[in-house]
Amino acid sequence: MLKSTFTPIFCALAPKPKPSTRVITNTFSNSTSTVRQNSSLKNNPTITPSSAYIHLPFCRKRCHYCDFPIVALGSASTQTHDDPRVINYIQWLCREINATKIEDELDSAKTPLKTVFFGGGTPSLVPPSMVGTVLETLKMKFGVSESAEISMEMDPGTFDYKKMEEMMLLGVNRVSLGVQAFQEKLLKSCGRAHGLEEVHEAIDIVKKCGVENWSIDLIASLPHQTSEMWEESLRLAIEARPTHVSVYDLQIEQGTKFGRLYSPGEFPLPSETQSADFYTMASRMLRDANYSHYEISSYCKSGYECRHNFTYWKYKPFYAFGLGSTSFIGGLRFSRPRKVNEYMKFVENLENGSVNSSIDDNINSKDKALDVVMLSLRTARGLDLKHFQESFGSSLVLSLVEVYKPYVESGHVVFLDEQRRAVRIDDINNSLLDETDLERRVAYMRLSDPNGFLLSNELIALAFGVIDSWKDYPSALQEAT
Amino acid sequence: MGFLRKASKTLKQSNYVSLLFNFNPLSSRITHERFSITRALFCTQSRQNYTKEKAIIDLSQYPPELVRNFSIIAHVDHGKSTLADRLLELTGTIKKGLGQPQYLDKLQVERERGITVKAQTATMFYKNIINGDDFKDGKESSNYLLNLIDTPGHVDFSYEVSRSLAACQGVLLVVDAAQGVQAQTVANFYLAFESNLAIIPVINKIDQPTADPDRVKGQLKSMFDLDPSDALLTSAKTGVGLEHVLPAVIERIPPPPGKSESSLRMLLLDSYFDEYRGVICHVAVVDGALRKGDKISSAATGKSYEAMDIGIMHPELTPTGILFTGQVGYVITGMRTTKEARIGDTIYHTKSTVDVEPLPGFKAAKHMVFSGLFPADGSDFEALSHAIEKLTCNDASVSVTKETSTALGLGFRCGFLGLLHMDVFHQRLEQEYGAHIISTVPTVPYIYEYSDGSKLEVQNPAALPSNPKQRVVACWEPTVIATIVMPSEYVGPVITLLSERRGEQLEYSFIDSQRVFMKYRLPLREIVIDFYNELKSITSGYASFDYEDSDYQPSDLVKLDILLNGQAVDAMATIVHNSKSYRVGRELVEKLKKVIDRQMFEIIIQAAIGSKIIARETVTAMRKNVLAKCYGGDITRKKKLLEKQKEGKKRMKRVGSVDVPQEAFHELLKVS
Repeated sequence: MLKSTFTPIFCALAPKPKPSTRVITNTFSNSTSTVRQNSSLKNNPTITPSSAYIHLPFCRKRCHYCDFPIVALGSASTQTHDDPRVINYIQWLCREINATKIEDELDSAKTPLKTVFFGGGTPSLVPPSMVGTVLETLKMKFGVSESAEISMEMDPGTFDYKKMEEMMLLGVNRVSLGVQAFQEKLLKSCGRAHGLEEVHEAIDIVKKCGVENWSIDLIASLPHQTSEMWEESLRLAIEARPTHVSVYDLQIEQGTKFGRLYSPGEFPLPSETQSADFYTMASRMLRDANYSHYEISSYCKSGYECRHNFTYWKYKPFYAFGLGSTSFIGGLRFSRPRKVNEYMKFVENLENGSVNSSIDDNINSKDKALDVVMLSLRTARGLDLKHFQESFGSSLVLSLVEVYKPYVESGHVVFLDEQRRAVRIDDINNSLLDETDLERRVAYMRLSDPNGFLLSNELIALAFGVIDSWKDYPSALQEAT
Repeated sequence: MGFLRKASKTLKQSNYVSLLFNFNPLSSRITHERFSITRALFCTQSRQNYTKEKAIIDLSQYPPELVRNFSIIAHVDHGKSTLADRLLELTGTIKKGLGQPQYLDKLQVERERGITVKAQTATMFYKNIINGDDFKDGKESSNYLLNLIDTPGHVDFSYEVSRSLAACQGVLLVVDAAQGVQAQTVANFYLAFESNLAIIPVINKIDQPTADPDRVKGQLKSMFDLDPSDALLTSAKTGVGLEHVLPAVIERIPPPPGKSESSLRMLLLDSYFDEYRGVICHVAVVDGALRKGDKISSAATGKSYEAMDIGIMHPELTPTGILFTGQVGYVITGMRTTKEARIGDTIYHTKSTVDVEPLPGFKAAKHMVFSGLFPADGSDFEALSHAIEKLTCNDASVSVTKETSTALGLGFRCGFLGLLHMDVFHQRLEQEYGAHIISTVPTVPYIYEYSDGSKLEVQNPAALPSNPKQRVVACWEPTVIATIVMPSEYVGPVITLLSERRGEQLEYSFIDSQRVFMKYRLPLREIVIDFYNELKSITSGYASFDYEDSDYQPSDLVKLDILLNGQAVDAMATIVHNSKSYRVGRELVEKLKKVIDRQMFEIIIQAAIGSKIIARETVTAMRKNVLAKCYGGDITRKKKLLEKQKEGKKRMKRVGSVDVPQEAFHELLKVS
């Protein structure tokens, strides 16, 4: 069913923005408004969110690479229905959801949630009944669309058939399985709470329960990982036939066990070259297995993109609830406290109205442009230059094209036309003389796979440089009037 | 004396005068009108106090025979500035404990480095009491006017030193009692000696536990043929022996020889720019007298001015309305910039043009070291331009021309008198004007001669054609005569260093049983980069070094280009001796490889002479930098990382497609 609502890939996702009356008043009072201004990204954050991230922080133990806000319950904890820490947390979480201000209170029609994502932590550790409570709270507060994508991160060894079935009955229809590696030795050395046997069991359960849309998550560049091991992990993942594969690149974070033990690029971590080879190998093997590399670290069978994650990459607003989670409402990114005590205090303040997580009067165009570029260049779709130009003016688009031109020749960047065919560099050079010609020819800009993706930081930083020295952005918005 | 009653100076100064009055038998010389010390001692803004009536100094009481003009010369750190402070205190010119130490070193850089960059003068009044008796052997104790002319000690400023010394009749040659004679002592001695000045040796710092005044006396005898019994033993720190210094100045240094009845000739010693009062010139009146309102002219520029304000430095500007023969003071004329005030110039009365013979020794400033100065951030050009303009207002000896570099953008090519001068200029730009600069490898002025007979003076290696149309038939480079003094155990490594630097030994002798004195001819280029540091490090800091300019010598020179991905970087070009070109080329290329970060494509770094590549390194392409992990909606950290990356890029200089960090330019300065 999802598949049919999802082709072609993106068009179904973006509901037409419905500017609230308040915003329209503001716009008119500032200057003569244009159609473009009202429809542009400028007003995008004021769309009512239709996505929600729910953080369920409990884990059996902390993995050696992890710096997320989690609560370790102890390795023996596979049954958590009577753990007061979990019961309490779920209560606070529901209180937060209930205390959250709905953006378009003036609008009588509610915007139901179209995606819900249970992340963690290890959400699969939470008893289904409690997950049900959270979902029920969301439904009461915002409504949840019939066809909503409800994802859950699940770890091997934390669920059985029964639990999986219960979760599905509650509405969970997408599973992100935290496999990470298919080698006992590597699982152990990165501190996972499960072994290889549990991995195979978990895959079995997900498939037997008939979860249609599921993902295997893998981590590349683990310590002592060889290219043989990585190839084996990819092969076994492909053989399990998930609809989605996420390939994350190990990052050594300060304050983690790995952070104390290892430095990037040095043994036992793979060298930069090896690590690049791992990435290239994943890109090649998964493509050969008919997965599309639709985002820097995401692969899927056609039509199985993670809709929730696209909320992030398309600069759409989203709610977030729970410890350490970040919401994006009204143009403001708001991160909740990462410590349980402080989080509870935050919820109390939210209830008594002394904190507001959604209003920001100072959304500056530069920041917006940075976010849009940074997020969209992660995706294979790339940056929609027409849309970008409508929001930020053509001078900025021209400077971006100018800066990225050398990287077309070096094979890191691809310009695409409306039909998503690559535009030749000579055509771009010719077009640069004539703005309208450029607009006609070039519709998208993306990073190449794998070389551009591999250097995404470097390449995105170039855009940051351009946007930073972009002086005329206030006038850019008026220029087209 | 009515004209003398015109107001002057600050209350702070009036307080000095009052101190003078209290413990110096000078009262009869000072006319003080209702000496109303209102104790407003904190008010030092002279402009605010013009109308206050106060003591006026009557300079007519000091004919040349009661004037002594002298200078203190010493190796760095031998106590010159401290001795000057003590003499100023002793005569009540400054109050003990008030004001900052190294009174005459006004610039921050001077204090930090313990050096003098600008010449300063101070006028002191001193009553010479002979044997504690006013009348003895028919000689009357008299009040003297003493002018201390502080000179820059460094060879870069040797022209200024020679001009300052031209206004003196004698010097105090200060030598550290423990360190003994050092290179700069030797150089300074000869400057004074050649100017026929009376030399009073002062062995200072005798309070130190390692002081050995007898050994130093022996050195003075063997090196300079100075009579050991003439040496004064002092400690400027504790005050021991200081009472003998000024009597010795009066007895051993002759009075200025000028003719009072002749028409005016004065020597311009130095100048500086005051934001409120304009250019202030320090002058020594050689013949005749200068009165306020006189019309005066410069022999060097032919321009005429009016002497609007005249006075002495006591120690701040103290108007006197007149300066007589042999006296030293200041004059304010309404000059716009210090560029009009040429050091060594002769100034005379405009009406007496025909009669006046300019004083000997005037020379235009000679620039020996050149380097390009560029704003570290390209957009700061205006700020740098402004800073340089302001700074050259006070230091006219720097030559400045605009320069454009493809790598560094708009900047300036500056010519300096020498290395220290360049260093000081850089430091002042940063300290006083907050300018962040990239300076290119300093170069010396080479002369190239081509087959068509044309000659080219090269102040910027980038301007020299790498593949000239005309054949080069000869090139010349400037050389110096270096003086090095060191303990004998370091002779071996020092000689090795000097021959590596293409030095030619001219003299080798022992100052005493432990210290060696050497003279070398060295190409200036070889000491421009990192020579002194290396000398200090191989001698654990015990060697001292000084040099004087010498003539141009033929040399086998080549231009060394640095190429990044095939494109020559103008700001990195250097001119080196052929024999060293391969080594220098390799070193430069290796250094650059270390400081240039990997980029998205391969970078080839080459050193080339003409079209011949002599060294090559490769910086391999970056394959991957940190990729995204699952960060969900929290993109703030990622954004910060990218912002940081962007900032890093902004600080880079772009050469073609290659980003070159600023450090690369700094690193190149360290390759000789």
